[in-house]
Amino acid sequence: MKQSRTIWALLLVMAIIAAACGSGDATSESTTTTAAGSETTDTSQPETTTTEAAPVDEPAETVSIRYFTFSAAPDHLGDLDAMIAAFNEVHPEITVEVETAPFEEYFSVLQTQIAGGDAPDAFELNFESFVSFAAKGVLAELDVDTSGYYARATEAFALDGTQYALPESYSTVLLFFNQDLFDQAGVDYPTRDWTWADEKAAAEAISALGDTTWGSFAGIQFWEFYKTADQNGCSFFTDGAVSINQPACVEALQYMLDNVNNGLQPTAAEMGGVSDGEMFVNGELGMITTGIWMFGAFEEATFAWDVAVEPGNTQGGSHFFANGVAVSADSESQEAAAEWVSFLTGSPEAAKTRVDAAWELPTLTDAGLYDAYLSQPSPANRQAVLDSLENVTIPPVIERQAEMQDAVNGLLEQAVAGEITAQEALDQAQAAIEELLK
Amino acid sequence: MKWLGSSKRWWVVFLAPSFLLLLVFTVLPIGVAGVLSFFEWDLLTDPEFVGIANFVEISRDERFLDALGHTLTFIVGYVPVVTVVGLVLAVFLKRASRAAGALRVVFFMPVVSAWVAVALIWKWMLNSRFGIVNWMLGLIGIEGPAWLFERGWAMVAVIMASVWKDAGFVMLLFVAGLQAVSPEYIEAAVVDGANAWQAFWKVTFPLLTPTVFLVLIILLINSFQVFEQVWILTEAGPVDSTTVVVEQIVRNAFTFGRMGYAAAMSWVLFAVIFVVTVAQNRLQKRWVHYA
Amino acid sequence: MTTQLRIRGHRPSLSRRLGWVVLGVFALSMIVPFAWTLSTSLQARESLLRIPPELIPQDPGFDSYRRLTEVMPFGRIVLNSVVVAVVITSLQVLTSAMAGYGLARFEFRGRQAMFMLYLGTLMVPFQVTVVPLFIGMSRIGWVNTLQALIVPSIASAFGVFLFRQYFMQMPMEMEEAAAIDGAGPWRTFWRIAFPFARPAAATHGLLAFMAAWNAYLWPLFIARDEQAMTLPVGLAALHGRFQTDWNVVMAGSVVAVLPVIVVFIAIQKHISEGLLLGGGK
Repeated sequence: MKQSRTIWALLLVMAIIAAACGSGDATSESTTTTAAGSETTDTSQPETTTTEAAPVDEPAETVSIRYFTFSAAPDHLGDLDAMIAAFNEVHPEITVEVETAPFEEYFSVLQTQIAGGDAPDAFELNFESFVSFAAKGVLAELDVDTSGYYARATEAFALDGTQYALPESYSTVLLFFNQDLFDQAGVDYPTRDWTWADEKAAAEAISALGDTTWGSFAGIQFWEFYKTADQNGCSFFTDGAVSINQPACVEALQYMLDNVNNGLQPTAAEMGGVSDGEMFVNGELGMITTGIWMFGAFEEATFAWDVAVEPGNTQGGSHFFANGVAVSADSESQEAAAEWVSFLTGSPEAAKTRVDAAWELPTLTDAGLYDAYLSQPSPANRQAVLDSLENVTIPPVIERQAEMQDAVNGLLEQAVAGEITAQEALDQAQAAIEELLK
Repeated sequence: MKWLGSSKRWWVVFLAPSFLLLLVFTVLPIGVAGVLSFFEWDLLTDPEFVGIANFVEISRDERFLDALGHTLTFIVGYVPVVTVVGLVLAVFLKRASRAAGALRVVFFMPVVSAWVAVALIWKWMLNSRFGIVNWMLGLIGIEGPAWLFERGWAMVAVIMASVWKDAGFVMLLFVAGLQAVSPEYIEAAVVDGANAWQAFWKVTFPLLTPTVFLVLIILLINSFQVFEQVWILTEAGPVDSTTVVVEQIVRNAFTFGRMGYAAAMSWVLFAVIFVVTVAQNRLQKRWVHYA
Repeated sequence: MTTQLRIRGHRPSLSRRLGWVVLGVFALSMIVPFAWTLSTSLQARESLLRIPPELIPQDPGFDSYRRLTEVMPFGRIVLNSVVVAVVITSLQVLTSAMAGYGLARFEFRGRQAMFMLYLGTLMVPFQVTVVPLFIGMSRIGWVNTLQALIVPSIASAFGVFLFRQYFMQMPMEMEEAAAIDGAGPWRTFWRIAFPFARPAAATHGLLAFMAAWNAYLWPLFIARDEQAMTLPVGLAALHGRFQTDWNVVMAGSVVAVLPVIVVFIAIQKHISEGLLLGGGK
């Protein structure tokens, strides 16, 4: 029939076009040059706009680079501008254009831009996504002096000995506790020597205070689980093999499940859509394991609260969530981008701005930077942030990271719902992860 | 329609602008995405040809099949209910009086609002501790479930919220459609002794069937692609009990970096929707009356 | 003017009254969310969302709206949204009405296939086509431009479907009369058919405006800075990764919703007051 012939012809044309598109070669830069966004230009900078495809080995010419970030919006755009202004004092010829996207969509947008040959020159990555990006060759090698950074953080953003991103900032997770509830229950505040047993005892005492009071909260999901397992001496991978269903890990998961099943922690239904942070501020939780990014939010609490390093079981373990910044391998201004990345992550000016703004913490070894941070009055035990770095749990990361997280989360959910036991959940996780590693 | 003295090519003039734009900006990308279903692509590196491997994998993919099942459940629960509610609203509010107009605006507000805002309200209303829904159920002696946190009930909650949000949209389509039904026909029926109910079923509704057809097709096509409310209300939970096809597609495309696999899934979805729509189209000859 | 039809023997019965009560409750449930959004937007700064929500703001003020303008180049973003939405709406209605008329009133080979192709495009989720479309835009240098937001959105399969159905519902007498008087297809369309399809046009226009105004995914990918950024994308940036300033978010929601409500109110009577046939005077 005539119609089907036309359809085949159309499909053939599309296939040819798709093949041409699919060869993934870099496309020409968009011809319009954008004047630097009004928020990011430092007034002392000359008013020149960008030159198209500026050759990298002529640093005297003005260059414009695009920097894509998820951590700056919405609260820290002003701080980022301050950092750019400081940067422009050292490098007036480099204009930094900031682009942002909400975290949920950040990676979709980034991947699509890369696929379209339109990658930003520099962009943020978190540790979990770094490995996939680096392994696929879309990041430029960075030849930068890394002596000022935490060694562990620098290692986290290198692959096979090559540095592909610079660590930018980190946050940690601590045990927050409601001092008023502790007083009511007659329990001593958490100390650095606490173990799971102490935490459990305190949780039991506080839960007994009332129907809408629970002793503790720690989400039963991928991130919390690998850390809790680590606190029990178990990790997902041992000597290159998957070890998630070892007894110590099962024990850790069981500990987490018991908290919920014994009423020490609210179930999802009991929370009814209210977030854990909100419940804590409402005075319904005695303890909560959450990140230091909640310091600001918890200021609203009407009770006294403080923080402590998370108690471990056989050993300590605390989260270390690091963000890094990379340069795109397809960038036409790699040198300029690298200069910016280096400044953003390593300069004392940027670090100071970051600390003052409580915008996570810089991954630098200079202890002096922390004085301002530590001297803030609330919470009193801010030192715990640094103390927690003594026993850091590195996230388990593989190339197919998202699928692993998704699989583990799904199984943990089933365990929480009581549909499978902890052992079954981790056995299935074992199989799933081995499958992903093939 | 024959116009005196005009050439036969007029249809080109009327259809060209829309159709050409459609071809370039919609059909072509769909075609590319279709071709992609024979590849594996993580967006970062080059696509890799895998033949029909993706389709084979889909046929064994339990999560996908579950998602398809949940989507069908959603459709069966949502489409009939929202159609009826929308029709009832339209019939009640079809006149041009100010009161009716104001009420139409009110019913349209959820349609206009973003799911993000609407979802918060529904989460609050469905809360088992202090939510209004369970409180009302309690008044008649029923202990309400934990809605969004209970397998099975979560989908019911999603359907309820979707009906609530989209009823105004359906109402709008029917109000417009009702305008083409001339009151003369209804008057004639009344003169012949029909009451309101009979007048509606014997006269109005048959004349309205093209609009009903439109509404059903659009609702079906849209609800096969339900995504946003599931994502925001339940995040496909609890325990994956509200996964839907488009959610699997999005997850595979961006989160898992398997664009080709996602494209293959959308082919499968397309095929299902297409078959259903063609069936609808064939059936319409039996019940749709055109002027 | 619609004649209020009095059906013989009609008295407000119990079921009718009950119907109105149910309607009222239903209507109330529609207003409450909006009222709550409005109320939250007027409240003083509060970074966590209280549940149950408070309907009456304690310290009403326009702080959140002020912050809205500070956090982003608000004026430019709103302007972009307005331009994009208005252009898309008008072009969509026009081209869809023409195409719908073409499919309804002209017989040509491949007519059914073309209609199915239109319908077919509705059956593929946009999330799948966004990447190929973006790559295409990137190749022709349209990233971060308004035309990239407008042009791909002009063809509307839904609109064509809507108009086609409406025109097929339309009795042919008027057009036949015009044809006898010597009017060609275009004149017949423009003078008679299109005006008659006012309800469909108003409906489609409203829905097109709403879709264009609220569009999020595509503008998110296309816009890099305020040159092409639209309101939903700008507002999404308000959702922080760990905490959200709900008051500002709600203020943004109010701003996002108001224009559509205004358009709806304005267009309403066109939807419900079509040119009626039998009247034909």
